[in-house]
Amino acid sequence: MGGGHAPGDTSHGDRGHAHHDAPYEPVFVGAVKDELTEILGRYPTKMAALLPALWIVQRERGWVSDSAMAEVAQLLDLTPAYVKGVVTFYTMYHQHPVGKYFVQVCTTSPCGACGAEKVVEAFLKHTGCGELGATSPDGRYTVIEVECLGACGFATPVMINEEFIESVTADKVPELLTQLP
Amino acid sequence: MPTLTINGREVTVPQGATILDAARSLGVDVPTLCWYPQLPIVGNCRICLVSVAGSPKLVPACATPAADGQVVTTESVAAVENRRGVLSMLLERYPVHDIPDGGSRNEFEALVRRYNVPTTKRSPLPLRTGDERAGDPLIQHDMSTCILCTRCVRACADIQVVGVLDVAQRGEHAEIIVGADGNPEHAGCTWCGECVRVCPTGAIHDLIPLAKLKAESAAQPERTVRSVCPYCAVGCQIDLSVRGNDIQRVRSPWIEETTPNIGSTCVKGRFGFDFAMHRDRLTKPLIRRGWVKRDGTWRFEPSPDDVARWGRRGGPWREIREEATTRKQRPKFNPLQSLRLADAPLGDPRDRVATPKEWYEPFREATWDEALDLVASQLVRLRDERGPNSLAVFSSAKCTNEENYVLQRLVRGGLWTNNIDHCTRLCHSSSVSAMQRAMNTSAASGSMREVEHESDVIFILGANTTESHPVFGAAIKRAQKRGATLIVADPRRIELAQRADIHLQMLPGTDVALLNAMLHHVLECGLEDKEFIRTRTHGFEAVREAVAPYTPERAETITGVPAHLIREAAERYARGPKSSTLWAMGLTQHHTGTDIVTSLLNLLLCCGMIGRWGAAMMPIRGQNNVQGASDMGAIPMSYTDYLPVTDPSVRRMYAEAWGVPEERLSLTAGLKVTEIVKPESGVVGMYIMGENPIISDPDVAHAEEWFRNLEFLAVQDLFLTETARYADVVLPGSSFAEKTGTFVNTERRIQLAHKAIDPPGEARADLDILIELSNRIGLPAPFADASAVMDEIARVTPSWRGVSYARLEGSGLQYPVPDAQSPGTFFLFDDEFPTADGKATLTPVEFMPPAELPDAEYPFFMNTGRQLYHWHTGTMTRRATGLDSREPTPTVEINADDARALGIADGDPVRITSRRGSVVLSARVSPRVARSQVFLPMHYREAAANLLTRSDVLDPYAGIPEFKVSAVRIEPVTAERVEEGNGKRSTALGARPAAAESWSD
Repeated sequence: MGGGHAPGDTSHGDRGHAHHDAPYEPVFVGAVKDELTEILGRYPTKMAALLPALWIVQRERGWVSDSAMAEVAQLLDLTPAYVKGVVTFYTMYHQHPVGKYFVQVCTTSPCGACGAEKVVEAFLKHTGCGELGATSPDGRYTVIEVECLGACGFATPVMINEEFIESVTADKVPELLTQLP
Repeated sequence: MPTLTINGREVTVPQGATILDAARSLGVDVPTLCWYPQLPIVGNCRICLVSVAGSPKLVPACATPAADGQVVTTESVAAVENRRGVLSMLLERYPVHDIPDGGSRNEFEALVRRYNVPTTKRSPLPLRTGDERAGDPLIQHDMSTCILCTRCVRACADIQVVGVLDVAQRGEHAEIIVGADGNPEHAGCTWCGECVRVCPTGAIHDLIPLAKLKAESAAQPERTVRSVCPYCAVGCQIDLSVRGNDIQRVRSPWIEETTPNIGSTCVKGRFGFDFAMHRDRLTKPLIRRGWVKRDGTWRFEPSPDDVARWGRRGGPWREIREEATTRKQRPKFNPLQSLRLADAPLGDPRDRVATPKEWYEPFREATWDEALDLVASQLVRLRDERGPNSLAVFSSAKCTNEENYVLQRLVRGGLWTNNIDHCTRLCHSSSVSAMQRAMNTSAASGSMREVEHESDVIFILGANTTESHPVFGAAIKRAQKRGATLIVADPRRIELAQRADIHLQMLPGTDVALLNAMLHHVLECGLEDKEFIRTRTHGFEAVREAVAPYTPERAETITGVPAHLIREAAERYARGPKSSTLWAMGLTQHHTGTDIVTSLLNLLLCCGMIGRWGAAMMPIRGQNNVQGASDMGAIPMSYTDYLPVTDPSVRRMYAEAWGVPEERLSLTAGLKVTEIVKPESGVVGMYIMGENPIISDPDVAHAEEWFRNLEFLAVQDLFLTETARYADVVLPGSSFAEKTGTFVNTERRIQLAHKAIDPPGEARADLDILIELSNRIGLPAPFADASAVMDEIARVTPSWRGVSYARLEGSGLQYPVPDAQSPGTFFLFDDEFPTADGKATLTPVEFMPPAELPDAEYPFFMNTGRQLYHWHTGTMTRRATGLDSREPTPTVEINADDARALGIADGDPVRITSRRGSVVLSARVSPRVARSQVFLPMHYREAAANLLTRSDVLDPYAGIPEFKVSAVRIEPVTAERVEEGNGKRSTALGARPAAAESWSD
């Protein structure tokens, strides 16, 4: 590995030429760069910092774009394809922009038995998302189903961004949404 | 050393071998899919599972170590049942309807046949997808046949050390991806084709860049012919797939064969072959209009019309100088995605640099008899009337040893002059003069494999190996992965510099200061090899004194390299234990080239880094036979084997061998390339074989003028080149694929290339042309074929004495090969140097700055060199459609800060001006060049870098010009200023085709 090329390296062909309308703004500048440097100090290899680096990208941008993967690859001496392999292996890195509030509803068997499906329906209806994975027209919400959030005794658990909410039922959904800033 | 039994046969294998290795050593064919020699073992396909007695489960043969007493059955019922199961599952998502009845198109389908797996079951899952590389003219993917063996991923990451490919997603969605965004350019792809080579299903395949070669015929070539790549001096062996008289594709020799390239290629080797079938190929001899034969004598009587139009030796074309001022801009669109090459006829709009029609105007087609008669008669006339030294010959580093030998034989024995030289003068002549002076040798001491496998430290100077010698570059990257330390000295931050453990980014031309300082530090630390210095060298004290003033601090002020880096590099190099030293044009192409290489040799010898396996001294040669052409005596000062022309006893030997009177052979060294192309050289007649000096010589404007004024010029080439257009006679020669002959690579390996196709039309094998010319000039050349020439070479060349065609099949021989039993020589100088007393000589050298430094008027350093996709004067690569599509226009690399300061954006047209001339080309803003430096590729007729270089300051020993340092200024080109250049052109020549217009101007 280690074949990363700078995004601006135009040594071969037209690599780095504008393929996006706006030029790519790097994620890792200033304090964010310092944060990564701090993280790198914890590990024996740069490669080991890949998952946290991707989390930082997702926190800063809301999702992980192809260009961001290339940036991370370059910083960690990895190849862009390797980074994409990792990003796509995990379900929790967003490969597309998502709504301001990312709603994850557990629909594994125990929650399913307790009406998780209705909770999902309620979220889809009240957020205006319409379907799983889609973002509402106002850009506020994306709703997905997930496997086991580890709270079977408190079905149905829901995560909205980092917030963990237990015992959600369909009728509590509108109130939950109105509480969001 | 475990001993095991496989299918009832006992075998003993080395410790660490796998069951698969053991089986293969017995010739037992265990099927494999994910396994491939030399790639990391992943064991994921499960097709190689075999039964081992006592083991409850089948074990993967590729990943299980062979152990003492194992009893292995490779085709047990259980193993076969498992294989059928594996194949059956893979077939569920394979386009089975495409498999030909009873046949197979690839490794995977062959296994389906072998195990007789029914192809009827289909999964409800869709066929696989992945990045398809749509529109790519060289490599495309059809991922419906991908079986996710990941050979391509590992080949890219581990053989080429690039890492374009990987597996994304998981489970049933898993797929092969190209970079993060599907664009190979963004992922560092160099189009080497390693992925194509290893793919077992053809999911990744090369796209033949010739429309007439349809996929189905390409898949079943009539025959395969082993050849040697016509580009750089790595000397990659390649297999040409030939049907009829067309090369259909280049394939790799099997990875386990002993070839210099372990079967790898770079983009030029794999995709750069179609120039041989280009419509521009000359198919008949051409004679300049005006030559007539009357009463048995040739006279030049041009029509007054012609003289009025273009003088004695012109034509309806713009000179290189004029053409340079036209505007060039890189195409806005990406050629890869925009042009569907596969459907385009051979005459593709990309052939912008194809020979313009009007270039043929001053010529008429002729018969071979006429053309050879004219050449022979004029050479003989000039020899007799104006003296032998009024003639000069350029031989060719692209031609075979046999051709170079016969040509220098003709020049010396038939024209009685030593005025023969070739482009080595412009590349490694200073290495040769330095190595000759230090140790009386002219070639690399070691082999590429020892650098890859044995060296602890690899010190590379002035060599952009990953672009100029990509297959060797990959080997160096593999060496670094294995743990070798990489030290790179280069003014540019090239790929190897980016990867290096230490990058010494010095100012251009300050190498002597850097190397003297390294030696200074080595001596200060006492890290020199005292025993080696004492027993194997002379002159140490003088060198010690000479480097004493070169402290790293002083060197820092000269070179710009921080003193601590100089110290660290010096220590790591000297500590080795085995350090290899590699260099190329960055050291040699200076007016102090010999000094620079000498200072490197001083360091190398004082550290004793030569004469051991793993401590190689390696000038990386440029062209596929530049080593051989020099070995064959196509240089002005020596016969074959560097035997000096000035030595009467040497002369006697050759006079006898060639059957010429001794006094005919001149005892005076001839003129060098750079001395010939000078008004004062006295040369009025030239014969040029396969060289294009009007692009490659320094100060091209003057060179072009000089050639125009010759009395007689004959050119033997594939195309009507920029030089050939001034010729009186043009003889159509043959490409590498059209002849049998030998080439010497950078590690002294003599390799045999076989004829694959016939030359087009009436074009002839170069050797035949030379033999007939030699006979007509009066020097009988009694050679039936190339093999017979080699027999004579072996007779007169001591270090080639044991060479014959019969022995060259396969991996070839590394000379010296003193007798017919010798296996060749992998590395040299283990106990002594080939000098009178066996010792090497250290020569003190002082730093001298480049001849022309930047100043207020010309504030930039200009460096010239090669690009990955092109080759020298572009004669071949710019007619190789796939290659030219990757680099269609001339560009100048400029640092982002400089570009900003000058108001230049990436892609803008700019004008570069030196004291010699100016060229217009497009800017490429690049982090590779330092501030105040620009880099110009040398491949482009329409923006010839050598218009700017200087020819008047030469290395005093080698005569090499300073291609690497010129002072230039750079300025943006505005639209109005371009109009001047265009207007002139359009009145002179009329409009060019619209398609060409959109591509360049």
